[in-house]
Amino acid sequence: MKKLVLRLRDWPPSAWIFFAWLVTLSVLPFLIILAMSFAVRSESGLISWTFTLANYERAFHLVYLKVLAKTIFLSLGATITCLLVGFPVAYYLARATPEKRQMGLMLLFIPFWTNFILRIYGIVSIFGNHGLLNQTIMRLGLTDSPIEILYTRFGIYLGLVYNYLPFLVVPIFSALEKFDLSLREAAMDLGANRWQTFTRVLLPNVREGIAIGSLFVFIPMMGEYVIPDILGGAKEVFLGRVMVEQFFTMQDWPFGSALASVLSMGLMIAVWVRMRFEQRKAGPTSHGLR
Amino acid sequence: MYELRCESLEKSFGSFALQPLDLAIQPGEFFSLLGPSGCGKTTVLRLLGGFEQPTGGRIMLGDRDITRLQPHKRNIHTVFQRYALFPHLSVFENVAFSLRLKGLAKTEIQRRVDEIMNLTEIGTLADRRIHQLSGGQSQRVALARALVDQPAVLLLDEPFSALDPSLRVRVREEMRTICKKVGATFILVTHDQEEALQLSDRLAVMKDGRCLQVGTPKAIYEDPSDAFVASFIGPVNEIRGELAENKPGEWTVSSAMGTFKVRKNGIALPRNVSMLLRPEKMRLLRQRSNTQENLLEGEIQDLTYLGSRTEYTIKTHDNVFKVSEAELERQKKRLLNRRDRVFLTWKTEDAILLPQSAPK
Repeated sequence: MKKLVLRLRDWPPSAWIFFAWLVTLSVLPFLIILAMSFAVRSESGLISWTFTLANYERAFHLVYLKVLAKTIFLSLGATITCLLVGFPVAYYLARATPEKRQMGLMLLFIPFWTNFILRIYGIVSIFGNHGLLNQTIMRLGLTDSPIEILYTRFGIYLGLVYNYLPFLVVPIFSALEKFDLSLREAAMDLGANRWQTFTRVLLPNVREGIAIGSLFVFIPMMGEYVIPDILGGAKEVFLGRVMVEQFFTMQDWPFGSALASVLSMGLMIAVWVRMRFEQRKAGPTSHGLR
Repeated sequence: MYELRCESLEKSFGSFALQPLDLAIQPGEFFSLLGPSGCGKTTVLRLLGGFEQPTGGRIMLGDRDITRLQPHKRNIHTVFQRYALFPHLSVFENVAFSLRLKGLAKTEIQRRVDEIMNLTEIGTLADRRIHQLSGGQSQRVALARALVDQPAVLLLDEPFSALDPSLRVRVREEMRTICKKVGATFILVTHDQEEALQLSDRLAVMKDGRCLQVGTPKAIYEDPSDAFVASFIGPVNEIRGELAENKPGEWTVSSAMGTFKVRKNGIALPRNVSMLLRPEKMRLLRQRSNTQENLLEGEIQDLTYLGSRTEYTIKTHDNVFKVSEAELERQKKRLLNRRDRVFLTWKTEDAILLPQSAPK
């Protein structure tokens, strides 16, 4: 960090804007949350600046660990689903003609020009008990009572997948676009069947795109609040909801901050470990002469 | 070792069509497909490799019809134009790729990879990453990777075009040595006639989806079947004229430049013929010589000294000739300079006679 600041003098003005943006909107708020997590909630719900570790002790209670586990489970599941759905989409787009590709990318992003909340309510109107899907299958006589999708774990999962899919498609798409097709032919030529070509040549070469895309969606999913709030109903707890509850319902900002800090730190450590792992894998040779 | 045969092999896509192609490539032969871009040579290679399906005809490897076989089921490997080495694997793993797929034992893989890497002289590069290799090294890795599981046929798709020109000749020589050691059948696709001449046992010259001539480098160079082949395989001077038999067995070509004696080989020729002369088969004289049968007077317009030989551009009264003379030849005479008057001559048997092609 010291090194970074010292070198700042050499940075161009454009980097200063970026740096200012990073500090005011990312680093500073995080430091405030971190500071608050060591404070005490006063009787009136305000913050009393007395150092304590009690909030962290509480954050690691079984109840919250269970919520954390459930959140990880759902986010991981949704990320994997996004990968399974998103990869073929990205593959198709990367191989399509320029016109089809542009069209496809636009179709992928058109929903995102609609307000986020509206889109979530769109899901409600399709999957709700009186929604399009249930009404249709009930009319067809396939079932007497509606299938409960909303206000279940599945509802949250569905919302996460729907909302984050494009953010996974794009990085994978750009990795696939850079993938040299002659490598595929070379693999086939050397005796690899389609599956072997996929696992031994294509995947290793777009691994970076997959990893970045997965982090891109997994991290915000972990902190997601609106989707579980609207689609999850009262009985499904999600880490993001618990945090917001602490801040606004319970008026316990220090404890909410502790939960938020644990989540952020956990994710940061995970990303850092991954980066270290990547570096070691690439090895010192990657800096060698070309 | 199997013979590779194309039987009326056809392929059309868009406006391009490969005309029915019949080729028989002998086991262990180094065969080249030579032609300008768009002539269909790469299409033939892709058909042989299994990356494209023909619209007609068959490909036979020995007695086996491999026309519809997937690339990974053919005992044919390719060295790709840009080598297509796997960037996520080390040099060793690139070379070992096909053996790993076959599920061979570790010790066996190690042995065979070591063997081929020593043969191609890349033994010291085993742990390198692909992006650390030079062009020449990459090419050898690609060659080793394709040769390691002993394919019946190796396809080479312009393997020298990504190399520095200064490297090419040396790498070609090395390639030839390796090929002879391995003993597989090699098929090279190239647009570089020098490359094809240097490497091939036999070659096929292609143009516009058609195979014009198949033969040894010598046969194609000295006895081309067609004006395109003649000019593609090397520079050539052309004299157009009418063929006539003056006395039985004595033929001449009369053109605007004069009448020249020719030797007619067996083939039937129309009245309008092209007489083709290679620059190195023509000689320059300072004085008119009465002993020479074929003589043209001209002026040296330009000369280029190239060490082992000198190339002249000679302007006659209505034509321009390229003449290439070996340096030894040149030293015997007084030095020639620009704007000197000279006489051009050639041996009667060195003129190539072909039917006249449509004027360009």
